[in-house]
Amino acid sequence: MHSPAPEAAALFKPHPEQTFFPDPALDRAMGVVMALATEVYVLRDRLFALERLLAESGTFDRARLDAAPTPEEAAASAADRDAFVNGLLSSVLALQASKGATS
Amino acid sequence: MTTFNSPRRIDPRSFAAAQSFITGVKIYWHKDLFGTLRSEYEHRVDVSGKAPQTVDDVEKIVAGMTTYRYYGWFERHMQKFKYAGRYGLIPWHQQERERLEKELAQKPIAPLELDPQLEMPRYYVNCDIHQHPGGVWSDPVAGFVYERASSTTTPLAGELHADMHERFTRLLEENCPAPQRVLDMGCGFGKSTGPIAAHFPQAQVDAVDLAAPVLEVAARRTKNVRFRQMDATRTDYPDGHFDLVTSTMLLHEMPPPVIEKTLAEAARVLHPGGKMVHLDFHNLRDPFARFIHYTHGRRNNEPFMEPLAEMDIAALLGKLGFKNVKIEPFAEAEGVLSPEFRAWRFPWTTITAERV
Repeated sequence: MHSPAPEAAALFKPHPEQTFFPDPALDRAMGVVMALATEVYVLRDRLFALERLLAESGTFDRARLDAAPTPEEAAASAADRDAFVNGLLSSVLALQASKGATS
Repeated sequence: MTTFNSPRRIDPRSFAAAQSFITGVKIYWHKDLFGTLRSEYEHRVDVSGKAPQTVDDVEKIVAGMTTYRYYGWFERHMQKFKYAGRYGLIPWHQQERERLEKELAQKPIAPLELDPQLEMPRYYVNCDIHQHPGGVWSDPVAGFVYERASSTTTPLAGELHADMHERFTRLLEENCPAPQRVLDMGCGFGKSTGPIAAHFPQAQVDAVDLAAPVLEVAARRTKNVRFRQMDATRTDYPDGHFDLVTSTMLLHEMPPPVIEKTLAEAARVLHPGGKMVHLDFHNLRDPFARFIHYTHGRRNNEPFMEPLAEMDIAALLGKLGFKNVKIEPFAEAEGVLSPEFRAWRFPWTTITAERV
């Protein structure tokens, strides 16, 4: 072989990535979004595979899992939902959590 | 033990799921994003009442369009994720190296001649074509990476391109019905060489490529071909040795002086009346198609797509000793040349000529 992988790696000096948006911050944020989307899809795929294996082995009843939540279940999960939303969106308000300079 | 949460290990299911997701995004890009971009562009041209004449004219229209920004971003970055993301082809093949090297230790099913002294040309090593880190030449397992990558290069393949190689071999047969000796230049991992050898079972098919890693894979996939590591611009075949010289998707990966040398070498090794057929990207039907192709070359690390499309190939072939030159659009599937076909596609073109 002409040159092993480590030599090729040594040849590589990263160049700045191409940009497409007026503010390159959006280029970078899009990369984060798509990396997260990939992880979500990987998890979703794995969850479906797990459910299939468990249903096949008789460990659980898929129809019960797929059923819409009962009013009791929905009420019980509402608090969890609210906490999730608060955690997700708290940055939107742009308020400091500790006292300090503002810029 | 393989654990799902290990930060270092990619399990095969997660790799397949991530690559499938990336392919899904690319399909969306091919159809919906490109279709929307084209419609928005056409609308702007209609409103302006002035038909763009040049690539620069098109660029002025689309450069500031938000849809174009996303179109460019997704073209560049989904390819980057495909190769170099957390679930990319490179980390996956690095992880699988031991298994793949064992496969390479098995005897090939076709004759394989490697030339460890062959120097890789500078243009070839200076740019990682297709955004494949390290290219196809530098790592022993790079042939497997390329093979896997090319299975989703044209993600509409399942729907549209399934019979592309069949269509290409049919075209070869129309030009050269019963070749005895065939040379396939820049054969890669043998994706097109295999169908050629299968279509002409009576022929001795030779196939050359610069990169040992891809030849290593080719010689384990395809029988009845002699795979040789060699620079297509200077092979060791005698003058007039071949009835048919072919290449698929080779010329656009070379700068114009190398294209000229390659075509001159094809002229040398063909006997008078011998045929040459290249499948590549050349004819572009309007400035928008040209703009899309040139910017694809930039975003996919293929710097010679634009120069090839700008070359006067017919004049060059005349100078090199060819006649009956035909440069024609190639339909890789039914209906793709129709104006109603709205998805992104490569500007497939066949270049056929006869040795004087």
